[in-house]
Amino acid sequence: MSREAPPPAEEAAPEGAGGGGGDGGEDGCYLALCARPVHFEKANPVNCVFFDEANKQVFAVRSGGATGVVVKGLEDRNSISFRMEDKGEVKCIKFSLGNKILAVQRTSKSVDFLNFIPDSAQIEYTQECKMKNANILGFCWTSSTEIVFITDQGIEFYQVLPDKRSLKLLKNQSINVNWYMYCPESSVILLSTTVLGNVLQPFYFKSGTMSKLSKFEIELPAAPKSSKLSLSERDIAMATIYGQLYVLYLRHHSRTSNSTGAEVVLYHLPREGSCKKAHILKLNRTGKFALNVVDNLVVVHHQDTETSVVFDIKLRGDFDGSTTIHQFVLPPRSIQPYQVPVAGYLWTLQVKLEPVVNLLLDKGRLMDFLLQRKECKMVILAVCSQMLSEPERGSLPVIATVFDKLNHEYKKYLEAEQSYTMVVEAGQSRSNPLLKRPVRTQAVIDQSDMYTHVLSVFTEKKEAPHKFTIAVLMEYIRSLNQFQIAVQHYLYELVIKTLVQNNLFYTLHQFLQYHVLSDSKPLACLLLSLESIYPPAHQLSLDMLKVSTVKNTSPSSNKYLENKLL
Amino acid sequence: MAADVHKKKGWEVPNGSLAPGNGQHAERSESPTPGLAQGTEPGKGQSAGQEGAMFVHTRSYEDLTSPEDGGAVVRSPEERRGEPAEPTSMEQISKDFSELSTQLTGMALDLEEEMRQSQEGKLEPSPQATRHDSVLSGKEEEDVTMDTWRMHRKHVFVLSEAGKPVYSRYGSEEALSSTMGVMMALVSFLEAEKNAIRSIHADGYKVVFVRKSPLVLVAVARTRQSEQEIAHELLYIYYQILSLLTWTQLNHIFQQKQNYDLRRLLAGSERITDNLLDLMAHDPSFLMGAVRCLPLAASVRDAVSTSLQQAKAKSLVFSILLSGNQLVSLVRKKDQFLHPIDLHLLFNLISSSSSFREGEAWTPICLPKFNSSGFFHAHISYLEQEMDLCLLLVSTDREDFFTVSDCKRRFQERLRRRGVHHALQEALRTPFYSVAQVGIPDLRHFIYKSKSSGLFTSPEIEAPYVREEEKERLLGLYQYLHSRAHNSSRPLKNIYFTGPRENLLAWVTSAFELYICYSPLGTKAGAISAVNKLMKWIRKEEDRLFILTPQTY
Amino acid sequence: MAAAAAGAGQEKQLAPTLLSFFIYNPKLGPKEGEEEKKILFYHPNEVEKNEKIRNVGLCEAIVQFTRTFSPTKPAKSLHTQKNRQFFHEPEENFWMVMVVRNPIIEKHKDGKPVYEYQEEELLDKVYSSVLQQCYSMYKLFNGTFLKAMEDGGVKVLKERLEKFFHRNSQKQRPLFSQYLQTLHLQSCDLLDVFCGISFFPLDKMTYLKIQSFINRMEESLNIVKYTAFLYNDQLIWSGLEQDDMRILYKYLTTSLFPRHMEPELAGRDSPIRAEMPGNLQHYGRFLTGPLNLNDPEAKCRFPKIFVNTDDTYEELHLIVYKAMSAAVCFMIDASIPPTLEFCRKLDSIVGPQLTVLASDICEQYNINKRISGAEKEPQFKFIYFNHMNLAEKSTIHMRKTPSVSLASVHPDLMKILGDINSDFSRVDEDEEIIVKAMSDYWVVGKKSDQRELYVILNQKNANLIEVNEEVKKLCATQFNNIFFLD
Repeated sequence: MSREAPPPAEEAAPEGAGGGGGDGGEDGCYLALCARPVHFEKANPVNCVFFDEANKQVFAVRSGGATGVVVKGLEDRNSISFRMEDKGEVKCIKFSLGNKILAVQRTSKSVDFLNFIPDSAQIEYTQECKMKNANILGFCWTSSTEIVFITDQGIEFYQVLPDKRSLKLLKNQSINVNWYMYCPESSVILLSTTVLGNVLQPFYFKSGTMSKLSKFEIELPAAPKSSKLSLSERDIAMATIYGQLYVLYLRHHSRTSNSTGAEVVLYHLPREGSCKKAHILKLNRTGKFALNVVDNLVVVHHQDTETSVVFDIKLRGDFDGSTTIHQFVLPPRSIQPYQVPVAGYLWTLQVKLEPVVNLLLDKGRLMDFLLQRKECKMVILAVCSQMLSEPERGSLPVIATVFDKLNHEYKKYLEAEQSYTMVVEAGQSRSNPLLKRPVRTQAVIDQSDMYTHVLSVFTEKKEAPHKFTIAVLMEYIRSLNQFQIAVQHYLYELVIKTLVQNNLFYTLHQFLQYHVLSDSKPLACLLLSLESIYPPAHQLSLDMLKVSTVKNTSPSSNKYLENKLL
Repeated sequence: MAADVHKKKGWEVPNGSLAPGNGQHAERSESPTPGLAQGTEPGKGQSAGQEGAMFVHTRSYEDLTSPEDGGAVVRSPEERRGEPAEPTSMEQISKDFSELSTQLTGMALDLEEEMRQSQEGKLEPSPQATRHDSVLSGKEEEDVTMDTWRMHRKHVFVLSEAGKPVYSRYGSEEALSSTMGVMMALVSFLEAEKNAIRSIHADGYKVVFVRKSPLVLVAVARTRQSEQEIAHELLYIYYQILSLLTWTQLNHIFQQKQNYDLRRLLAGSERITDNLLDLMAHDPSFLMGAVRCLPLAASVRDAVSTSLQQAKAKSLVFSILLSGNQLVSLVRKKDQFLHPIDLHLLFNLISSSSSFREGEAWTPICLPKFNSSGFFHAHISYLEQEMDLCLLLVSTDREDFFTVSDCKRRFQERLRRRGVHHALQEALRTPFYSVAQVGIPDLRHFIYKSKSSGLFTSPEIEAPYVREEEKERLLGLYQYLHSRAHNSSRPLKNIYFTGPRENLLAWVTSAFELYICYSPLGTKAGAISAVNKLMKWIRKEEDRLFILTPQTY
Repeated sequence: MAAAAAGAGQEKQLAPTLLSFFIYNPKLGPKEGEEEKKILFYHPNEVEKNEKIRNVGLCEAIVQFTRTFSPTKPAKSLHTQKNRQFFHEPEENFWMVMVVRNPIIEKHKDGKPVYEYQEEELLDKVYSSVLQQCYSMYKLFNGTFLKAMEDGGVKVLKERLEKFFHRNSQKQRPLFSQYLQTLHLQSCDLLDVFCGISFFPLDKMTYLKIQSFINRMEESLNIVKYTAFLYNDQLIWSGLEQDDMRILYKYLTTSLFPRHMEPELAGRDSPIRAEMPGNLQHYGRFLTGPLNLNDPEAKCRFPKIFVNTDDTYEELHLIVYKAMSAAVCFMIDASIPPTLEFCRKLDSIVGPQLTVLASDICEQYNINKRISGAEKEPQFKFIYFNHMNLAEKSTIHMRKTPSVSLASVHPDLMKILGDINSDFSRVDEDEEIIVKAMSDYWVVGKKSDQRELYVILNQKNANLIEVNEEVKKLCATQFNNIFFLD
């Protein structure tokens, strides 16, 4: 029951880490605080600060006479401020989704409501919890008019009727609750039950319904000595990672267990079916930690060293048959700027990708990592350019793996796109409303991206020996073919241009023979234009014209392949 | 240099004397005074033989240039009687013939007599002498080191085993004598190794050697002809020379004098050889080894033949009526056959001189395929001045001029009586038929040879083969197909050739040979049906196009 | 092979044979009595000096003689009753001459043998090409004549010629058993005229795999200057220029490969496999260079080859490495002698990858085969050649063996093909010719742009039109994406 607001999920270094961390800066600090934090009046005896997860709003409530409230959101920066008569100390205060109704808890028995609907009287109305002699631990809005009370004896699900200024109980469930946790994006409430508190009961709310999900037990590091609450709520977090809901449990180092340092255990909590342990993130250190999830990465902050590490559960770890054990992807670094002024600011944390490039030396793993990030495109393209040019020129096998990873992603998108259009054309789009056009994430790096940002620039520079240049182009074409992606004409042109510039006509010739540069009218014309410097181009182009006009053979047919050689 | 080695064994020894200097040659062609001319003739000893030779040569030389017969071939027998020594040789010749060649070879005739006969051999060409001289000087103008000379489509050289020039189609023999020397050297080098040179091949031309002791014939050809075809043409040249000298005489001359300069005997005959070469480049007869008939209604032809047959004489072997190079009718002695080659030589002889129009010619001639050792005597005359109809009566008797001449008269009489004369004139107005008559649109030209009769028929060469080189190109294509079809080791039955400018088809069976030239647009199926149509047409027309019933006396 | 009985009991046909082969330079012995100095090489060596001089003299005379009719295009060949002589001047004043005896029919007239020379049997183009190949092959392994003269005058040139044409250049791994013996004059045919390259049909993807394999190898073995890749003795990739590849290909397929039977062919668990040198993780082995990598004494001598002789004139070591049916030629600059370590490195890097690649190719190839359907015995046999890329395809010839590439049709038909080919080469217009031989076989020759196609049909009683249809079909099925003008 702290008067202090619980540390907002996004807030970094909760204890407002001051000084320390001499390193960081240029040395690849991949974590940074957002440029424009939300400033609020620092908590003090007369000013209480509350944070609402669901709406990402900070409430500054100053008491004494009439209570003045200032609400600042992360999304909408224009703050709301209003006054309400002081009916005693505010325990918890939250807007419904859309800021229509304000809910204020002042006592442990009831919650007061205040409509914020334009021209409706500013008269509060109150709802007491149904359960006799139960104490309300807190409440949370699950929609604009639905609210859940969590009491020490259970939960109560209400519908608010603002015009009637009353509430209607939709459902309630009695269960002993030690503490609770709400995850707005998945609208799941997690209750800590049993004496030890390590049995967690999730509830799922959706449009007026409350469904009870199967409960599960968090295995504690060591058998508890006494029968007292031994799973604290500050060791549990809920987050959706890669679209899945996970319960994160920070399991502290225990002398008994031979585990080196603390670890974060991820329990996967599916809509249907039981929750099960999925991942273990090795922290390899002990002490105080804080967690958050940014861009599907689990970031763990270590207080003593004032550094943080990130984990990506999509990256390969060691799978022991049931769970996957992960080491942190990047070496520990402190957040930048690490000079965090004293509390009173609400920060959001962000992952910077540029520094990552130099921290993740394995290019394959680097690509796996980058391809999962929101803002990855330019970084990836930069990485490609870098690996093609001195001093950090990559070897062909490395280049090949990178191309393959990019094209793998590219192909996935193309397929989704294709099947979507097929459904649409088939006119079944109405029949299944779930169907949406696939979103093109930044991870989709197509041929024109590669051409404009990487390959054409690279061939223009001519700093690399032509052998390498051609090898790279062929490697990219190979990769595209491997994923059955139709190669764009301008890539072929690039190849031909490079070959011609280096007088490698016989090479060009052989490529055409083996149909590496697929037949097309424009290509045929290009060849024809070469006739003067390379007479055989004449025959090549004539054949190509014939084929590209008379498409009587599927290019896959063996005969066809053979003919190319004749 | 190895080459020198051959030179020595080749032509420097024994007849060390190289080609006569141009000055001498010029003199020979200009000066009417033989003594001088011959006096400067190199390689002359003082033996009686030489004297004779000189004399004879002088005679013949006079004959060539004698103003009184103004180049006319006609030599009245009286004139001849006046000449001594002749009867013997005349008897000789008739004897030669009656007791057929073989004996003759055995007979040791001294050079002088040889020369006499040879003089007869050269009676005939004399009218061309003047023209020949101009030709000769014309040759002299040609510089054998010039590309223009090199680029001639076909060079032909004839030389003696001693390496002495006998004939050159282009450029004077003198200027070429060293080249011919090399030729002989090559020949003898290989013979020394019990081997025989056949040909030399290079980009764009071939050199073909034909060895006909005592002569060597060499052609340098840029044509598409095969080695065999070129050799075949060289053989014609060889026979041409035999027809003037007989094989026997030729041999005797060189037996007597290895380095004899044969040009003395052949002087004046170059034109005939030149003409033969030109003819072979245009007339498919030589390629086909067959004779073409003048298209003529069977009735008319029969009338002509019977007339010929009836106008016979004891000494007559062949009576031949021809027009241009087409045969009108041929009547022969029982079981005496005239070989196409011999007939070709006769054709060539006639076509190489317009002078036969000027009266009756009586000239000895050897028909090498028939008998290479003796002379016949040919009576050559045109029936009427303006009419291209030449009568050729071949007699065995040198004395029979008047008899034979009378045969001609009788023949003409009968013709008149039979009243075919007019019909003949008609036929002569169109000596060639047009391919259009066959009525096959895409058909351009064809050659059909009936193997049994040794006759062939072929329409006039028309558009697009108008220009000379186009005509030659067409013949070239026929030669090409012919050479493939008759390849000595890999003969072919059928050939279908598709070129950019025309399609050709060749079909060779045991009975006939057919070559057709067809529009490039024509399909193969079209060609096949054309062949069938054409064969029907020829069947229908055969009695007009061929001589189906050869007559004998 | 020398004498193939030609049916008729008494008759016996003697195949054409090499009478002599010599190389001379007229400028070397210009003076009388110095003729012998002109002669740089003469086979057979035993021939008496004066005869050598005489024969050389004849060639000179022939050449000189023809210059009077064409100063720039002298004689190419001389036909005589008993033999044919072929002249080739590959470098100024250096003349190569090959004398081939005409085939002979030996008859028996009352007990005595009578010899009849068959003068029309040998095809000039075929043997001229063979002679030219002799030079190209010499040049590939020795460089130009001129280079030898520069290196050490006539002496060195004579040594090199003798070494190349008469003796084996290497004891352990000879280039050729005895070069002049490998000519097999009796079985030369049209393919010798083309001296083409047979390409291995392959789908794009597998080809790209090979590409990236080669690129990787060249990257990790950075001293490699050029690479060539073959499968089943057919070319897939050449880093060399066309003309150099052409002759190298000839060497590999007619000499080197045939001399190394493939242990892999015996199957994975055959005894031979066990004996295979090196480790068993892969099938890779050197066809040139060290026999056994485990032997520290192993010689790492590789044959030297000379390429781009008319401009950059490069001298290279030729490393041929093979796994199953896949062979790779690595060519490295001659100035860097490959060490045993290098060979081991190469073996360890290339061996495993090449083994995998080889089986991929094999797999793909079989798949493609299945796609295109089982080839039933067709009504025709054909030879195809494209002058532009030297691509060659023959269904007439069996797989090349160290001895010969055997034609499966009657020699006369092969000669007819040769005739047609030489007819074609007289003009550069497109032509087609269909002929019916005395044996009633139909033979078709087709020339279009740079391409030549020769077909032999065995439906004897077909007519021209049917034959034409057959050929149309053939062109449609086998060459449907080829621009054939007709």
